Amino acid sequence: MTEMLRLEGLVKHFGDLEVLKGIDLTVMKGETIVLLGASGSGKSTLLRCVNFMEVPTGGRVHLMGNQIGREGRGGSFDYAERDLVPIRARVGMVFQHFNLFPHMTVLQNVMEGPRTVLGLSKSECKMRARKYLDKVGLGWKADAWPTHLSGGQQQRVAIARALAMEPEIMLFDEATSALDPELVGEVLDTIKELADEGMTLMIVTHELGFAYTVADRVLFLSGGRILEEGRPDDILLSPREEQTKSFLRGHSRFRLPDTPGQEQA
Amino acid sequence: MGYDWDFGVVLRDFDLLLLGLVNTLKVTGLALLFGVPLGLILALCRLYGNALIRWPVGLVIEFLRTTPPIAQLFWFFFALPILAGIEINPFEAAVLTFSLQSSAFFAEVFRGGIQSVERGQWEAAKAIGMTRNRALKRVILPQAVKRMIPAFLERAIELMKTTTLVGTISYADLLFRANQIAQSTYRALEVFTVAAAIYFIVIFACSFAVRLLESRLARSGESTAR
Repeated sequence: MTEMLRLEGLVKHFGDLEVLKGIDLTVMKGETIVLLGASGSGKSTLLRCVNFMEVPTGGRVHLMGNQIGREGRGGSFDYAERDLVPIRARVGMVFQHFNLFPHMTVLQNVMEGPRTVLGLSKSECKMRARKYLDKVGLGWKADAWPTHLSGGQQQRVAIARALAMEPEIMLFDEATSALDPELVGEVLDTIKELADEGMTLMIVTHELGFAYTVADRVLFLSGGRILEEGRPDDILLSPREEQTKSFLRGHSRFRLPDTPGQEQA
Repeated sequence: MGYDWDFGVVLRDFDLLLLGLVNTLKVTGLALLFGVPLGLILALCRLYGNALIRWPVGLVIEFLRTTPPIAQLFWFFFALPILAGIEINPFEAAVLTFSLQSSAFFAEVFRGGIQSVERGQWEAAKAIGMTRNRALKRVILPQAVKRMIPAFLERAIELMKTTTLVGTISYADLLFRANQIAQSTYRALEVFTVAAAIYFIVIFACSFAVRLLESRLARSGESTAR
């Protein structure tokens, strides 16, 4: 297996606030990592450091075998924006609020990256965009405006937009948190499909059932550190740490009874 | 109501008024032509320039916005030839003044428009590998400009009305002509009524056209998506 991402002692400060306090993590190609943790635990920040939406304060990031950034003078470490731009093009990201471009049609949204960033020809971009729209099941909405789509459809378009860059790794930052409950499933299905196809994924989510199904490895973050990590069985069903336990209890306080009368149906 | 209206004298000199209107439109049009792009440049400098650019540009914008346009006009018409030895005619002085003056206002309109675009749009553009300039051009500005249309129209109307000041440096715009005719015919009431009506018709027609454009743009895509 090839290494896709390696974080060494990753630290991120926002002013005086230390959000990440030294994260060590290696992600292999094709792996699906789910990050759990309470709000403020640093899971979103960690994700945003991987594609340099946030520039790390300290530590090292290796992506696809290359160390990102340059050793500066006096032991400091520099991330020049011009070095980070091409990296973002190879790391896909899907946001909580979709952030589709409202002045472009669905097709144009998906074409935009390949066209302006990768510089592919128009016909090539169109083909690629259609391919990924079909993949998320929205080829038939190609000419629609984003606002005319449901939240779930918008998020699937956002996934297609990220996929159209043919990234090495995809990051999902609470991709279903802004959706009405009945629309969550279609987005999770789409993500699961990517995982099954061997795409490398890092997912921040609150959907524990989904995490259990899709993850190769679950990380539980607390206070800017990885408190616990392991296979979904271990972390979600028999966590060691008290904080993980109480987090999981909080998420499953109210549950439907199991199999409520299947014979009725 | 003892006044005896007589529009005949005005209509006899109507072509003079139209000539004046052409000059008004010339100054307004050129001021827009130069002022809008300059405004965009000033706005970008103020938003994204380093401190060495941001502060002086901010100062210039504020200066242009807070000093009376007539003072600026006099300054460029009378002071520039003396200070820089540049001969400048009333038309050039008018275009120069109103281009600069309106650029300051347009800079603020641009700035407001750009800042009104959600952060998520920047992030999405960045996440697919766009540089800041490309994101600005492809994602942010198209949305900002759409939202700016009403403020933009307001500024353009204001600009056209402010150009009436050019009469003070003897540039023969619509109002200058109206004044001339009023003095020679002693029919000030009629003349200025007609002049005002012309302003009204031109501005109203323009703003109607812009509203039409706006609603058409609104139908293609929406601005409410996040």
